[in-house]
Amino acid sequence: METAISVVVDATLITLVLALAAFGLAIIYGLVGVINMGHGAFLTLGAYLTWAATTAGIPFVLAVVVATIGVGIVGLILEHLIIRHFYDKPFDTLLLTWAFFLVMTEVIKIVFGTDFRNVANPLPGAIDLGAVKIPAYRGVIALVALALIGGTALVFYRTTLGIKIRALIQNREVASLLGLDIARMYKLVFAIGACTAGMAGGLISPMLSVDPYIGNVFLVRSFFVVIVGGVGQLLGGTLVGSFFIGGSETLFALFSKQVFAQSVVFLLAIVILRFRPAGILRQR
Amino acid sequence: MTAETDKHIPPVGRVSLRGLSESETGLAVVVFIVLALLPMFVSGYPIYILPQYMLFGMMAMSLGLLWGFVGILSFGQAGFFALGAYTMGLAMQSDWGVNPAYIGMLLSIIAGGILAAVTGYFLFSAGVRATYFVLVTLALSIMVEQIAVSQSEITGGWNGMFIDRMTLTFGGLGEISLFDDAPAYYAVLPVVVLTYALLRWLTSAKFGKVLAGIRENEDRLTALGYSVSLYKTFAFALSGAIACLAGALYGTHANFVAPSLGGVLFSTEVVVWVAIGGRNSLLGALLGGILVATLSNYLSTITPEYWQLVLGLIFIVVIVFFTGGIAGAVGKLPQLWQPRR
Repeated sequence: METAISVVVDATLITLVLALAAFGLAIIYGLVGVINMGHGAFLTLGAYLTWAATTAGIPFVLAVVVATIGVGIVGLILEHLIIRHFYDKPFDTLLLTWAFFLVMTEVIKIVFGTDFRNVANPLPGAIDLGAVKIPAYRGVIALVALALIGGTALVFYRTTLGIKIRALIQNREVASLLGLDIARMYKLVFAIGACTAGMAGGLISPMLSVDPYIGNVFLVRSFFVVIVGGVGQLLGGTLVGSFFIGGSETLFALFSKQVFAQSVVFLLAIVILRFRPAGILRQR
Repeated sequence: MTAETDKHIPPVGRVSLRGLSESETGLAVVVFIVLALLPMFVSGYPIYILPQYMLFGMMAMSLGLLWGFVGILSFGQAGFFALGAYTMGLAMQSDWGVNPAYIGMLLSIIAGGILAAVTGYFLFSAGVRATYFVLVTLALSIMVEQIAVSQSEITGGWNGMFIDRMTLTFGGLGEISLFDDAPAYYAVLPVVVLTYALLRWLTSAKFGKVLAGIRENEDRLTALGYSVSLYKTFAFALSGAIACLAGALYGTHANFVAPSLGGVLFSTEVVVWVAIGGRNSLLGALLGGILVATLSNYLSTITPEYWQLVLGLIFIVVIVFFTGGIAGAVGKLPQLWQPRR
């Protein structure tokens, strides 16, 4: 019974961390249709900025804010210089964002070095839930992920900005005919996605040791989260996709090595992608 | 649209490419002659390392076939490459009564072909989007790396696996050890030349025209009655088999294979080579692989980080401004001298 509870708790925590990591990608891919292969670099940069800021003596929460804004600015520059010219060519944006990943990774190596860095855990304790104990920081991150996704839902369905963004997804031409500044909306959405990824990178950094390829671990998993959940299904899709990828990884890891479990999950995700290309929530 | 497009066989695309392909054959002959004569003038390290770069070039051609001629991009070629190297390593450890290296080569072709065919058919038959295919192949190369790491009893895990140099045997007629660098060089070169010739022949034959048709307009080819998914599957299987064979030869040449050979970074390096060399030209892909790998090796010892940075920036410039890479840019040169119509 205790293992069952701990598996459920574990799966929930992993699901929410994964949802947090994938959310920036879900925004950029789901809303403006850019297959952002640079997502991993956004996460890595967020983690490094957080590390740099905490090392400089800035409190952790503010450091994450620095990471959020920093990555947002980098995303904005990327969008303005390159991506905005290629919105109608998804394949080129795939290659260009991948090139961005290669360049960004090298810049990170040059600026921060290649050694492992550690961000001190701001909440070292554990929360006792009776049957299981969970690390306090992980618990808080899970709540933050929920709050972030919930908050986005609020923006999405309860504000003018949300209406504009939804109009954009539903019909670009008509939205622009109605006076919506498409170019600006795209830029805004891209920057928000980058900010979210930067924040996720910062929040995840105390849980792992930070190295220049930390974001890679999450890149493919984030994509599968988005595809399995359904592209454009920002809220439910991200949660369902994360639950599928993270939850099944936890389950398989019970029977085999962690790395092998990940391979099995990728295989499952490929099968889903084949039969339900629009995600498991939607019929084809 | 011209009347040409209504013919049964779809046009290859731009007319300039046809001129390019004629001059490419001449250039290819020159390149291969230079490569064949090189060991007479140079010795030592270059002769040791060049076969490995030629095999990288062979893997680049396997991607060039997919990307340039069918319009499918794979981020997983290194996964096949590593699979080939591991297959060779395992074959060399076993005793079959026949030369284990031959078995390794044969098995690697079969393994790469089957893995690619199964994955390809599974996805293409459902009409999975080209962008999703990129992600799946990316996942594929991660899976190869992860399996190589986790199945350490078989693969040696992180420590990798040592593989002996192969020996060519000719039945009762004797044998040639490829332990020395010069014989190894002359064993690898013909394989690369043959692969190039095979791919050139295939892409200029009707098969290649159908592939080009798929690249230009998939729906029209479907309407014309071609089984698009079968053609794509075959192209991917061929590409996987070639990359896998290249990896098998690489493994026995380098004497070593580690999981990172199949990883994401190496897989995408191949994409960079082909983009820079020229995705529409097999020779461009081959030379892109050889030259960029040579440059990388040389400059990595001097300035590793900045070189990778520059490579990334060149990659961006190529995608934004020179879609055809170096081969495309060179191919356009003759037009400058021709009178404009």
